[in-house]
Amino acid sequence: MGRAFKLVLSIDRFLLLLIAVVVGASLLPVRGVAAGWVDLAADLAIALLFFLHGAKLSRAAIVQGIGNLKLHALVLASTYVLFPLLGLALVALLHGWGNPLLLSGLLFLTLLPSTVQSSIAFTAIARGNVAAAVCSASLSNLLGIFLTPLLVALFMQVDGKGAVSSWHSIWTIAVQLLLPFVAGHLLRPVIGGFVDRNKKILQPVDRGSILLVVYSAFSAAVVNGIWTQVNVADLAGLLGLSAVLLAAVMGVNVLTARLAGLSREDFIVLLFCGSKKSLASGVPMAGALFAPAHVGLIVLPLMIFHQLQLFVCAALAGRFRSVAEARETATAIPRTEAEIAAAAKAVGVQIPEECLPGVTTNLALLDRHAATLRGTPQ
Amino acid sequence: MKQAIDIAADVRAGRVTASAIVEACLEALGRDDLVAVTRILADRARAEAAAVDAQIAAGRDPGPLAGVPYGVKDLFDVAGLPTTAGSTLYADAAPARTDAEAIRRLRKAGAVLVATLNMDEFAYGFATINAAYGTTRNPHDPARLAGGSSGGSAAVVAAGLLPFALGSDTNGSIRVPASLTGVYGIKATHDALPMAGVFPFAASFDDVGPFTVSVADMRLVWDVLSGTTAEPTDQPLRIALLGGRFRENADPDQLAAMAAIAPDAPVIELPDIARARSAAFVITAYEGGQLHRAALAEQAMAFDPQVRDRLIAGALLPKALYDEAQAFRAAFKQRIAALIAPYDVLLAPATPCVAPLIADPRITIDGALSLARADLGIHSQPISFLGLPSLAMPLARPGRLPLGLQAIGRAGTERTLFRFAAMLEEQGMVGVSAPAGVLQGSMA
Repeated sequence: MGRAFKLVLSIDRFLLLLIAVVVGASLLPVRGVAAGWVDLAADLAIALLFFLHGAKLSRAAIVQGIGNLKLHALVLASTYVLFPLLGLALVALLHGWGNPLLLSGLLFLTLLPSTVQSSIAFTAIARGNVAAAVCSASLSNLLGIFLTPLLVALFMQVDGKGAVSSWHSIWTIAVQLLLPFVAGHLLRPVIGGFVDRNKKILQPVDRGSILLVVYSAFSAAVVNGIWTQVNVADLAGLLGLSAVLLAAVMGVNVLTARLAGLSREDFIVLLFCGSKKSLASGVPMAGALFAPAHVGLIVLPLMIFHQLQLFVCAALAGRFRSVAEARETATAIPRTEAEIAAAAKAVGVQIPEECLPGVTTNLALLDRHAATLRGTPQ
Repeated sequence: MKQAIDIAADVRAGRVTASAIVEACLEALGRDDLVAVTRILADRARAEAAAVDAQIAAGRDPGPLAGVPYGVKDLFDVAGLPTTAGSTLYADAAPARTDAEAIRRLRKAGAVLVATLNMDEFAYGFATINAAYGTTRNPHDPARLAGGSSGGSAAVVAAGLLPFALGSDTNGSIRVPASLTGVYGIKATHDALPMAGVFPFAASFDDVGPFTVSVADMRLVWDVLSGTTAEPTDQPLRIALLGGRFRENADPDQLAAMAAIAPDAPVIELPDIARARSAAFVITAYEGGQLHRAALAEQAMAFDPQVRDRLIAGALLPKALYDEAQAFRAAFKQRIAALIAPYDVLLAPATPCVAPLIADPRITIDGALSLARADLGIHSQPISFLGLPSLAMPLARPGRLPLGLQAIGRAGTERTLFRFAAMLEEQGMVGVSAPAGVLQGSMA
């Protein structure tokens, strides 16, 4: 009993919250008008998240994020080359073994763009390169508006209207993500100091936005009958296939990051942006591309995969964060007078009064170099 | 300007004595108004010159540098003298028992040590602004810095006071002053030249190397210091230009010269160069801080104020951060080695600009003003970080402030760099120009 209790305690608190949200959405899915309010709350949380990240990131970090072409290319390759190849291989292997619509759905999910919100939120939780994640995930999502229908036409039988609301997707990304980000960044001279001093306020926003997105998405899935359209064996099979797919993509990305010599911060971006598939983009695209009677089953693998990726990434992000925090504590450069005095005492150096301003200035310079070394220039 | 190779030929042929050369040299050094010389070693120089002359009189070969006078940066052990490393802290230290290994090899080759030369305290700076020994002046314009930290060594060679001098280079301390004073200077492949008897700064990057007025002299001194004589092949050289930050922080004349030297060469960009420089900063600060920690604990106020604050800050850096920088360095070296493998020479600016004014020692980096003593090494620091050899070459531009390029090679390919520089020297694209209207030494 004691061991079981300890095990529960050792699980990341955020993961427990995620599980609670999924159970809550299964038992009490939000529907009707209330669903609209939850969606609005999720949208606002995401907008606030991007606003705060815009205020937090320096111009240099953003410029460096945009210019990180190798990383963006790797993320795009993972989303639009690696995933589709694995999807085609899985479908070919399983041909004749399962429900053809579910298999089509499995292939469809591999052709979708990456998520924007959760990729960036997880990157932030894991202390990855947020600026690069904003660029990579936005780029992937925008390109997906054109690439996904093209890939679907190439590899799948489509029987829907074929018209995806591209402008609506672009508008959503622009208004909900990029606009708050730019606004936050433009206000950095005013609120940047506050955000820098209170970095902890980002954490509940990061996590809260993901919980709201999960609750909203899972509620919709439950309302649409996720538990009634298929049997337990189908669900277990889809979960297993999703796990195989996710593990393969993440494994290849880990290897790619090593071969490409990516920094830890950029590796996190590749891992999170390159392994995600967007439910927000996938559901309306399926509605546009496939016959209405088939859409429910075709998006089911995506829903399962989406939940799995959220759980896996939440667990990974929590782990990365603990490692990063331990490293940050160990590598933190003393900045305040008290920290400097403590560090000096620890190495047996008494800092003369007249040296303190010069030492403080030099430590600030070294702190900037340490940030640049980590790929997150201040 | 008189070259070491010519002096040695004259002495060996008996056309002039080593003693006569040394007397003229001592007399010129006595008139140094560049704040470049810290100690003139008259007795030792006369004794070494006499020994060379005696060997010639006896029909023996005194060596390839017979009677050639030279000086060393103030951090080389010279038998019988305290090694100050440019600091009053060690002005009364116990004298060195033996010469540094580099000096021993030069003496064996017939060279004559005549002076020790000014530097930034403990080699921590790119300016040779020394609170105790003064600021070394640029022979091409005494109102300007000579660069550092081996500023004294560069200045005496540029002024023609000595045909060559030894310096040390941790993050650019040879290449920066070589570029600003218009002479040749080499930072060898890390650990290729002997460091025994040299006051350290940051062991991960420390190297010694000579300043000379010609490529022929550079080859000659290199042969002696390295103890090797092998020549490279005559295969065509594969050249690339370094782009990115190297081009963004360059003088237009440097870019024009690079384009003229290698018009068809590809421009390659070293990835993560800003991170590399920052890692070099962290490693240097940490190792420097650790080295001086005990002295800082006991008598911090005896340090040069500018250097002291930097060293204390370095001493407070956490070891884990240093380990992180070293881990980055190991991975970065592997990546760059693969990237540059197809090339023999990488061409880049040695410094981002000409020598700054002493009255306003600031330079523009990435569009913003910054301190010259911290940032003149923007282009040399990443190369030291990689441990690659780099030869600073002065652009041929008589009558104008000097400006240098650096030819960077793969590890162990110094002679390829000499061959490249000799070609450019022959074409008149690089070469030393005597300063006009300032002190000219006996070697001019």
